[in-house]
Amino acid sequence: MAEGMTAAPRVEAALSGLGASVSEEFGSTVADVPRGKWAQALGRLREACGLDWFDWLSAVDEMDRPEPGIRLVCRAQSAADQSGVLVRTLLPADDLRAATATGVWAGACWHERETAEMFGVHFEGAASHDPLLLPAGFDGRPLRKDFGLAARAERPWPGAVEPGSATLGRRRPPGLPAAPP
Amino acid sequence: MSGDRPALDAVPAEPVLPPRSRGVIALDPDACTSCMVCARECPDWCIHITSHTEAYVVEGSARPRQRQVLDRFAIDYALCLWCGICVEVCPFDALRWAPDHDYAAFDVRDLVHEKDRLAGWLPEREDEGCTDTSSTG
Repeated sequence: MAEGMTAAPRVEAALSGLGASVSEEFGSTVADVPRGKWAQALGRLREACGLDWFDWLSAVDEMDRPEPGIRLVCRAQSAADQSGVLVRTLLPADDLRAATATGVWAGACWHERETAEMFGVHFEGAASHDPLLLPAGFDGRPLRKDFGLAARAERPWPGAVEPGSATLGRRRPPGLPAAPP
Repeated sequence: MSGDRPALDAVPAEPVLPPRSRGVIALDPDACTSCMVCARECPDWCIHITSHTEAYVVEGSARPRQRQVLDRFAIDYALCLWCGICVEVCPFDALRWAPDHDYAAFDVRDLVHEKDRLAGWLPEREDEGCTDTSSTG
């Protein structure tokens, strides 16, 4: 077991009955929990594994996967021995809601506000959904893969130049919507 | 310089660089074929390349052959995020990591390193660059 990991059996015991699956990935103990048990699982991990230090919470856009959705990811660790757990849950694309983790760690509030504005996730029971980084009235979810970056639309793509040429060709950059006709 | 500023005194005058330091990306212009792979893979769009085609004659060959001649190769270090994808994808190892890191500039335009400056970053000895393999096992 790598340093900084809470032992997987301990995590499994803490989450028993919640339908979680525990694995070890890249030197980290990872617990995948059902969306409905998100806050409960975090609370149990805090108690049973001594995860008294909230590290971070964010999300991953998996809208292009066979099971589309937004995956919530949270890491917490023990201040005493720095062992920690990564906890994940998948929010289905048509229902991006999860229970707030602020009841477990008050410090999760800022991270949830950022995840809410950047990915469009709604945290039920959260005290505040005010934007943290975006200006008031901003439209869009900047960390979603379908969010078009204005700078990418305005700036010519250097990769559009063909070998043996000094001018921009017709090639389009990957990951951007096709040019308007 | 001692006694009253212990934290400053603890900073070594010469930095101690770890192996395979990602200081700057150096270009070997002779190895570059202007294939554009790096410029297209760059997630920051910070590599600019222009080239032209030149015909050259090979003895015994019926027709002249063509090759790309590199005119401009520039990396905008104001945009670069040191991800190293360009170094990884270069099919001809024309891009290499070099440990130099002290190229901060007062004018953002001076962070655009053109071909000659990029070539100047090439490590003089191979073992100064990214050839350390001690941590790959």
